[in-house]
Amino acid sequence: MSRSASTLDGLATDVASEPIVAWRAWALTGHHDGTNLLLRPVAKRARTWRPREIVEASCRTVRWHEAPDRDCTCGLHGTHGLEVLRKTKCPAVLGRVALWGRVIEHEHGYRARYAYPQRLRLLCQFCFWSSGVRRPPPEHVGWFPRDELMPLCGDHLSIAERNGVHPRLLLPADEVEQRLRNTYAVDRLAV
Amino acid sequence: MDIGKPKRIIEIEPASLPVPGEVVPDAEPSLQPDLAPAPAGPQQRTP
Repeated sequence: MSRSASTLDGLATDVASEPIVAWRAWALTGHHDGTNLLLRPVAKRARTWRPREIVEASCRTVRWHEAPDRDCTCGLHGTHGLEVLRKTKCPAVLGRVALWGRVIEHEHGYRARYAYPQRLRLLCQFCFWSSGVRRPPPEHVGWFPRDELMPLCGDHLSIAERNGVHPRLLLPADEVEQRLRNTYAVDRLAV
Repeated sequence: MDIGKPKRIIEIEPASLPVPGEVVPDAEPSLQPDLAPAPAGPQQRTP
């Protein structure tokens, strides 16, 4: 439910009482035994999304304005659809995210003050780039130094290994995904 | 990630937060009578 309130900085401003739910992709880190799973923005320098805590935006380029600012790119991002996310660098997790507080709606997505994931699933990034979400879910999660986790389907794991990319360990993807959902107390994304 | 040009601003104050275990605090918290602080009286010294 929303109602038109006013205009701010030349943009129409509405007021609403329900969070917006949008698409989002994350990188994933965790220990070699599949514990300490953490969602991370795909932008390497951005802050971790801690489980069961509200995520609050801040601006790393201009510290004296509140995020999201109309004339900046700061804020917690979500998208209207999946196509924009297929250009994301190294996505490991796909999900639906709730956005609230001040939310700036753009042509293809949103930037918000507060966020928390609502539904999650693991992604083979190579399948996602080539075919979207039509391919089966990944079977493996490769563990790399610095606790980076990379979900991979069987085909892309073989291709990676033939090209000299060898995970230090392989974890079963269904177990990692279940633990991730338990960690953040969210449901599975059914796509 | 390019999400295009800004179109509008939405100020969202949800009635319930979509975060496990989080509760929106009441605007005017009130104490139940049996939880209200006792009136100040003479302090008893423990021997």
